[in-house]
Amino acid sequence: MAPKAVAPAIVDGDPQTYENENVHAIYDKIASHFSSTRYKPWPIISVFMSSIPTGWIGLDAGTGNGKYLPLPLDRPSDILTIGLDRSINLLRLARHAGESRATREVVWGDVLGHCWRPGVFDYAISIATIHHLATHERRIEAVKRLLESVDPQHGRILIYVWAIEQDELSKRQIPTGDDDSDRRGKDVVVPWVLSQPAEPARRGGSEAPTEQRVFNRYYHMFAKGELSGLVHGAAADLGMHVGEPSALASKQLHPIRGVEIVQDGWERSNYYVELRCWQTSE
Amino acid sequence: MVRLITHNLLACHVKGCTSNNFPLQFRDVQIELREAEFNPDFLRGFMPKLEWKALVDASRQLGDTSLPPEVPEMLDDDFLKNLHHVLLEIHVEEGVMTCPNCRHEYPILNGIPNMLLAEHEIG
Ligand SMILES: [Zn+2]
Repeated sequence: MAPKAVAPAIVDGDPQTYENENVHAIYDKIASHFSSTRYKPWPIISVFMSSIPTGWIGLDAGTGNGKYLPLPLDRPSDILTIGLDRSINLLRLARHAGESRATREVVWGDVLGHCWRPGVFDYAISIATIHHLATHERRIEAVKRLLESVDPQHGRILIYVWAIEQDELSKRQIPTGDDDSDRRGKDVVVPWVLSQPAEPARRGGSEAPTEQRVFNRYYHMFAKGELSGLVHGAAADLGMHVGEPSALASKQLHPIRGVEIVQDGWERSNYYVELRCWQTSE
Repeated sequence: MVRLITHNLLACHVKGCTSNNFPLQFRDVQIELREAEFNPDFLRGFMPKLEWKALVDASRQLGDTSLPPEVPEMLDDDFLKNLHHVLLEIHVEEGVMTCPNCRHEYPILNGIPNMLLAEHEIG
């Protein structure tokens, strides 16, 4: 397979419109092909899901084809993860994700929405999603929604995004520029080549039985430290401390909310952070 | 599949609609019953998160009257099996959920609730 080229992108106009055209519409078109290539959970995510206590419920913000909804595989009914996505065609696949015939809980919505009772989830994951948001502010908003969605006392969060720093086996070729992408990340489009029989709606026309179409999906490739920077920005907006709970005096007049970054790492071309929320008692 | 476990978590998020925006009211529903694995430990762990009255009201709207109006003190197997059925085995496949406050309607199509808002409705 030839290396997939990645081209620089310029986000202009309304970011919501830009995402609609360069992310959501594309996932709806490539859903089943995309899904057939996405079945293996990354190790860090499997470990995180295995560590979730029995009886907890969670949100998968940007669930895609729902491949994390059946986890943990060794005790699937111990926890319940609800999948949220913008792409209805991916959700239709997510509804039946996994080996068993179990029906998954999925909701059609936006990761910038907040269609939940505040703090009702015990954990939230957002895997390969926030990098599709087209501005820094919107990426901070997405992290805020995650922090607001989980329990202030014990909520746990795992976020995964695509990194500029690619592993050696990656097929991607990343354009190098003379800009400050080391610090602020890089906006790119990544081609998805869809090679399949012509869509049913278009059969009977002059189309060949198979066709190749290229869809350019927008990504923001994260710079090192940028993801934890989003956490700091989101926490500041919500009046939350970033750090360990023990770092504060135990006696406070009002409860203090905080979030600890318990892991900040890189795995196979992605950056991830694991967060734990905490709150001091009155 | 909006099951009642999910319904118990959903709230209206139209701009400015921040009180009395839960629980959403079902209308014109079609339901399907599908068996799920009974896991009492999951149910016990999840119970503190439940809004009990909302669950009881919603289950009655869907024609299930097995849950008592108050959470019982003893969480015995009979109770937990009823709770399991109500939370995890009743699937709302089609219908509408209406906000009790602003009356916004969230449709359910092919088991998937549409919680997307138009740009001007986003808070
Ligand atoms: Zn409302």
